Amino acid sequence: MMGLISYLVFFTTIASILAIAVLGLNLQWGNTGLFNGGVVAFFGAGAYGTLLLGGAPQADHIGGFNLFYPLALIGGAVAAGLLAWVVGRLTLHLRHDYLAIATFGVAVTFENIMRNAQGFSGGAKGLRGFTRPLEAWVNDGLTYNVLFLLVVSVLLICTYVFLERLIRSPYGRLLRAIREDEIAARSLGKNPGKIRLAAFITGSCIIGLAGGLYATFYAFVSPQDVLPTLTFQLWAMLIVGGAGNNRGAIIGTFLIWAAWTASGWSLSRFAPVELQIYTGTMQFILIGLVIVGMLLWRPQGLFPERLVVSQSGRKKN
Amino acid sequence: MTFNKPIQKGAITAGVLLCLSSFATASAAADCSVKVGAVLPTSVDWGRPIAAVAQYAVDLANEAGGVTGCDVELILRDSQVDPKIGVDAAKALVDLDGVPLLLGAVSSGVSMPILTSVAVPSDVMMMSCCSSSTAFTELAKEGKSKGLFYRTFATSGVQAAVGAMVARDKGYKSVAILYKNDDWGQDISNLIAGDLEALGITVTASVALNDAQPSYRAEVTQALKGKPDALYLALYPTEGSAAVREWISLGGTQNMILANSLKSDEFRDNVGMQYLGNTTGTDTASPRTESASAFVDLYKAKFDSEPNGPGLSNSFDATMIALLAMHAAGKDASGSQIAAQVAVVTDPEGTPVSADAAGFAKATEILSGGGTVMYQGATGNVRFDGSGNVSAPAVTWTFTESGTQEASYITLEEVDEFMALVD
Amino acid sequence: MIQSLADGILVGAIVSLGAIGLTMVMHMLRFANFSHAELLSIGAYSALVFDALFSGILPILANKIGPLSMTWALILSMFCAMGATGLSAVLIDRFVFKRIRDKGDELSMVFASFGVALIIRNVLGLIFGLKSQLYSNDIVFAVMVSSDPLLLIKPDQVFVLLAALLIMLVLQFVLSRTTLGYALRAVAENPSLAEVSGIRLSWVIALVWIIGGMLAAAAGVFYGLNNHINPVIGRDLVLPIFAATIVGGIGSVFGAVLGGFIVGISANMALLILPSGYSPAVPFMIILVLLLVRPNGLFGETQT
Repeated sequence: MMGLISYLVFFTTIASILAIAVLGLNLQWGNTGLFNGGVVAFFGAGAYGTLLLGGAPQADHIGGFNLFYPLALIGGAVAAGLLAWVVGRLTLHLRHDYLAIATFGVAVTFENIMRNAQGFSGGAKGLRGFTRPLEAWVNDGLTYNVLFLLVVSVLLICTYVFLERLIRSPYGRLLRAIREDEIAARSLGKNPGKIRLAAFITGSCIIGLAGGLYATFYAFVSPQDVLPTLTFQLWAMLIVGGAGNNRGAIIGTFLIWAAWTASGWSLSRFAPVELQIYTGTMQFILIGLVIVGMLLWRPQGLFPERLVVSQSGRKKN
Repeated sequence: MTFNKPIQKGAITAGVLLCLSSFATASAAADCSVKVGAVLPTSVDWGRPIAAVAQYAVDLANEAGGVTGCDVELILRDSQVDPKIGVDAAKALVDLDGVPLLLGAVSSGVSMPILTSVAVPSDVMMMSCCSSSTAFTELAKEGKSKGLFYRTFATSGVQAAVGAMVARDKGYKSVAILYKNDDWGQDISNLIAGDLEALGITVTASVALNDAQPSYRAEVTQALKGKPDALYLALYPTEGSAAVREWISLGGTQNMILANSLKSDEFRDNVGMQYLGNTTGTDTASPRTESASAFVDLYKAKFDSEPNGPGLSNSFDATMIALLAMHAAGKDASGSQIAAQVAVVTDPEGTPVSADAAGFAKATEILSGGGTVMYQGATGNVRFDGSGNVSAPAVTWTFTESGTQEASYITLEEVDEFMALVD
Repeated sequence: MIQSLADGILVGAIVSLGAIGLTMVMHMLRFANFSHAELLSIGAYSALVFDALFSGILPILANKIGPLSMTWALILSMFCAMGATGLSAVLIDRFVFKRIRDKGDELSMVFASFGVALIIRNVLGLIFGLKSQLYSNDIVFAVMVSSDPLLLIKPDQVFVLLAALLIMLVLQFVLSRTTLGYALRAVAENPSLAEVSGIRLSWVIALVWIIGGMLAAAAGVFYGLNNHINPVIGRDLVLPIFAATIVGGIGSVFGAVLGGFIVGISANMALLILPSGYSPAVPFMIILVLLLVRPNGLFGETQT
């Protein structure tokens, strides 16, 4: 029983961290229509940023500033935001599929730099030397995980509330207006380029925050954490949950992550021993089938975007 | 949802069945079973055989009476070479199945978060076949791995040193290096470049090969430029064969020195014996006892080929040693209790036991009687240092029509002496 | 320098073949098909099967042609594989993409293509195993064209380049001179108008998939001939092919060909300045730079 609780706490922690990232992605795609194909770069910027700022000094690479943890975490999110600012300035004027490929390229380049720049990121062996905050004071592993989950949940709820308020505000309507009809928005005197950039940076900071939490939880990050697979996983979560709907994004994350882990678990449990070594491959086929099946059955996601009627007569800006 | 449902349903039924089965085993103590978890990349070309060998070692152990009189049940999970997935799998194995012992993972980038966020907090022993990163040594020195981490992968220092030794003995004046761009490759290429330069051999180029590239032509062209006497390869079979085929067709030298990851039938078949005449490989070695070939014979009988491929013998040894340690620790031992018994299983003063079912049975008998054994495995007279690293004698080998054969044997003393020379 | 240029052209030819099919599909159906490169795998593996079959039935076919590692059996297999892959492409469209097209948006198609790619790649892995395979184990030595500057070229590569160019010429002829080609272009321009003019939409879409599949199969066989075949060659090739498509501009066959060469050449030349660890990033650097200058690729039209 304790085992089950311990696992559930762990599972919920990872899923909540991923959910924060998916919320950030939802702001970019669901609300603003920006096809970010390189989510993992911003996630990674947050992860590497947090560990470099908050870790202990290491002999073979820079970083290890031993910063007070909350500052390190914020620093990671800011690093992601800075990256988003540069990338956004360069690419946001592109149309959907071009933007997706360009940002995808940014992510591949990011992974490449982390893998090769040994003096900066520790190279392929990853970034170590980070001690989880307060770990020395909490002896029991499970208690620590429960505390960590509490922090992550609070951050998830804060992000959710922040985004809900944002998209219900006039600013949120503006984002959707740009997504639906850029020319119309422009004719109303709005500057779509600037607003899109702001949304892109905000979303990326949120994704970076998730990356920072993720790296904190493992006290480790390596180039293997920032492979394109993660981009794909986060997108699958958003699509299944329902783009444009924050609650859908969270539920989608939990569902997909549960399906991903449960399929591996049940295959390892029920596949005959001689087929065990094929279960990895079979799991990928299952995941593919789930995604294709979902899109065939309900392409708008489990929780489609609710169309909000514009509150007429109460415009402020 | 049509595809989603069966999985969820499956998971629920799985849970119910699991509860039932655990009750069942608890009540029937006569035919008990002990669970061992494995997190290995079974969906990757080089990962699948590593998992198959681990499974095979478990089968052998069961044939020899199992561990503490119980059958060993290996629960194998795919890591997908994705740290998140690997850690989740490990966590599920530890929490839901209650395994005290984890085999794996292969990539250091997966093993490290498993160790820090699952194994150490939950007091579970980890035995990796193939994680090579020096970061584990650092972690152990800082005391953060709590002695729970072991690996049967000889640190890259020995491999690199023996590679450099081959270059010196063959009289090569210049060497180009092609290496896999991961932690192992970066590490070994730096090491051998240092060793070679210490010997006065020029390194003409040191070229990284990334995974999953459609063509390695450009990299090979880059390495060809300095017209080296010999080529050193720290690659896996897939990109290794692709790169060497390019290298040879472009007229590169056929003097090649290989790390043990290329001791592979796939590599030999895809390159062709006619080009491998001047190729020397390096590997860590078995001791000079008659039982040393036990693993090779067993493997041939089971898989109908020689145990050639990255990490196969390491995986076999990792499983065998871990299971023996588990036996020595007794029923329901915790991870640290098992970890403490590794020394008893690999005691240089202990009774030598061979790496097969008979050896396993003999070892369990001695261990039950409170004795110590010296496990003589597929990778050699495995001996762990304080950080859970293994040091071993080395061999050089060459390819033959049917597999590989040993060319020379380098004792542990010779290895140490040489490494002191180039340092 | 010269060597890198030559290598780039030869590698580029294969990428071009893949990119032509992708650009046509992306133009016609307006979605980024991430499973396109899996058609190369299907082509390469079906040729492997046919090759074993033909060499078994008629051993004389297994003889090599001149200095190439290509055999008659493999040439025959390639044509069969092209047919099989074209057919698979149509079937995949019928079972997956068509259904999603009927009810969802472009993005659903993009994601479905990710799913399809995962399925194809892993089914191939289950059937054929994960190891690399080869059409011929022999290594054909490169011929020294010039010693200073050093230029080495493999006969296979020249063959592949010529064959790829020939296929492109045939395609160009079909697209520009036949009714079929007109129909294709009409549908791409304006599907409803084309339908009103009596063009059967479903036939044209099937045709695009067949052409795309056939070219992909040829590219897969050529890739296998020069490199190796394994279940993940689709994953390895999808990015260069996309890069070529986008550099050339979506919808432009000529652009795709040129894009393929640009990607091939720059990937080879890049190592002259960059450490080789950074090579995966190179195609994207090209895309980024090019899109900064020309947001619709070299020959792409503005689309809304």
